Amino acid sequence: MTAVIDKKKCNGCGLCALYCPLDVIYMEDGIGHVVYPDECWHCGACRQECAKGAVRFEFGAMMLAV
Amino acid sequence: MSAWLSGEVHRIKTDVAVIGGGTAGLNVAMAAREAGASVLIVDKAHIMRSGAIAGGIDHFMAYLDTGESWDTREAWLKYVGKVARGAADLRIHEKVFCDELPAALARVEKIGISLRQKDSGEIFRTQTLGQPGPYSINFDGKFLKPAMAKEVARRRCKVINRVQVTNLYLHDGELAGFAGWDMRTGDFYEVQAKAVVIATGNTNRMFKSQTGNPFNLWYCPANTGDLHRAAWDAGVELANVEYVRMTIVPKGFSAPGFNAFFGMGGKFVNGLGDAFMNTYHPMGDKAPRNVMVWGALQEVRAGRGPIYIDVRHLKPKDLEHLFFTLGIDKDTLPEFLHAKGYSREGTMIEMTISEPMQARPSEMCGAGIKIDETCASNIPGVFGAGDASDQMGCLHMCMAGGFAAGKHAARYALRQTRHRPLDAKVLTAERKRVFAPLTRRAGLHYGEFEGIVRIITTDHFGPIKTEISLTSGIAKLDQLDSHREELKASNLHELMRCHEAMNIHAMAKIVAHASLARPESRFSPYHHRADHPETKDEYCGLVVVGKGADGRPTTRFQPLHYAV
Ligand SMILES: Cc1cc2nc3c(=O)[nH]c(=O)nc-3n(C[C@H](O)[C@H](O)[C@H](O)COP(=O)(O)OP(=O)(O)OC[C@H]3O[C@@H](n4cnc5c(N)ncnc54)[C@H](O)[C@@H]3O)c2cc1C
Ligand code: SF4
Ligand code: SF4
Repeated sequence: MTAVIDKKKCNGCGLCALYCPLDVIYMEDGIGHVVYPDECWHCGACRQECAKGAVRFEFGAMMLAV
Repeated sequence: MSAWLSGEVHRIKTDVAVIGGGTAGLNVAMAAREAGASVLIVDKAHIMRSGAIAGGIDHFMAYLDTGESWDTREAWLKYVGKVARGAADLRIHEKVFCDELPAALARVEKIGISLRQKDSGEIFRTQTLGQPGPYSINFDGKFLKPAMAKEVARRRCKVINRVQVTNLYLHDGELAGFAGWDMRTGDFYEVQAKAVVIATGNTNRMFKSQTGNPFNLWYCPANTGDLHRAAWDAGVELANVEYVRMTIVPKGFSAPGFNAFFGMGGKFVNGLGDAFMNTYHPMGDKAPRNVMVWGALQEVRAGRGPIYIDVRHLKPKDLEHLFFTLGIDKDTLPEFLHAKGYSREGTMIEMTISEPMQARPSEMCGAGIKIDETCASNIPGVFGAGDASDQMGCLHMCMAGGFAAGKHAARYALRQTRHRPLDAKVLTAERKRVFAPLTRRAGLHYGEFEGIVRIITTDHFGPIKTEISLTSGIAKLDQLDSHREELKASNLHELMRCHEAMNIHAMAKIVAHASLARPESRFSPYHHRADHPETKDEYCGLVVVGKGADGRPTTRFQPLHYAV
């Protein structure tokens, strides 16, 4: 389960990394990276802050198939 | 590693320090500034988007004096006395909530968040949780947190983000200050404060979750009891911490939605397709949350699972409102439901019982720092607010009560003529302790350590407990003590998680000790002693946990009285 950042859309503004309440996003090479995907709470704050629409969510089989 | 240990040391003085800039903490800060105190907010995340309502919130519970018999202060207090009996202290509730409610409602609107429906301009309220009438105002609180963060900046509160507070210090029995460290730079903070308000939420990640992922939780996984533990270590008393709270969540995703689903008329049904809640409570699907969870547990245990919320009978307009409000409370929930194949046209949505957590047994009280009518703890200078205190919780009390705590903390701080000193030797030792997991080459990963804690807690008191299960659970948790010294971090993020893991472990012991001191059941299944399944009048009150001379939890009982 995690937020996923589209590298092509990300402009490197850094807001997602600045605000993520779980400290799971870091900026690497000028782009937002979800470094601890297993620790994402799915709160959606990063997506709400992203002006570029670069964040989407993948729920994964553990959430969808059970 | 050595680079991290050579981080700067910052020494700061403030009148009032707010630890935890979440919902309650930001209201504390606003009030303390308004009262003329200098204010420092310290948060482990970033206050624009930290804590429970980082992604949004959708219900504000309140009485509004509309002329209806259930909509008055008296009716509200009667309701609190009924649903939070033995946990809510009504004298405190009146002071920290009722007296502050009108100003809190006005404050939400003043910072730009409307409590009214966009299209009609009306207040829309729904009824759940045993309420005598529709107390829950449905509103769009998606941007409430950023709006409050901007307001504290406007009021010129000082803010330090990404700093995890690790311990509190006293001087001659009164608050002197606290220590913390910056998870992005490795800098160390030594703060002297005339008063601190602890507003760090409840303890999560303490029990196994439905999918096994400890971050797939209803409540904010960043709240890990850090300051419950630190305050308790400094001699602050805790109360209501024996309760292990749960709710009903969608299968696969521990997201909130209970209030919206049942408020809009969703029906709770079992694997036979039958509505079952009337068997457990006269209010059926509008029963208090603990009773709903109890009902679900019984149905599943009796082999009548899985459980569902049936929304097929809802009118299209109501369904639309339901899905809209689900996405306000949990931004990603509507698309999860969609990805699972549930359509807006109406369906039976499979639900399950959420992970247990250390938290309040009712929406009308709290669990944690034991506070009085001025939000003060037993230690001069230490105050509590929000989910971290024993008498506040949920949006309504965090907004109203947070403000009360800020006023009282400022009043106290402004009466102090000087800051009390911090002991340099103690702080040097704390700095070494904080960064120690970075110095270990081999050792235990925080995930493994926390996983062990979760197996023990879930097996021994998650949620059903007995004297034997609790005593043997405590013995296992004690055995884990030696492994705390093996925790290893390879970067600052992992270091934060190591400290969280240790705090979850320490809080688990406190929960178990408090549970032993209540040989009855109350708010079942939140405190269900299989060896004492009945509720006993003599235990109508608080189990208060302190720290003994031997470093172990001590308990005393404080009765609570209700007029009706
Ligand atoms: C998804 C969700 C939806 C909800 N919906 C509703 C609703 O509709 N209506 C309602 O009444 N209630 C609702 N609740 C409950 C309500 O939101 C909470 O009770 C309330 O927001 C808690 O506020 P708080 O300030 O006590 O804690 P939080 O807002 O969680 O703040 C705690 C803060 O402490 C910080 N912190 C933690 N540890 C440390 C440390 N060691 N050092 C520094 N900082 C630290 C955290 O980063 C966080 O910012 C909901 C809860 C959740 C999780
Ligand atoms: S907020 Fe969006 S654009 Fe900015 S860094 Fe994050 S993903 Fe990139
Ligand atoms: S959804 Fe929330 S927890 Fe997950 S990466 Fe985004 S901001 Fe962080």
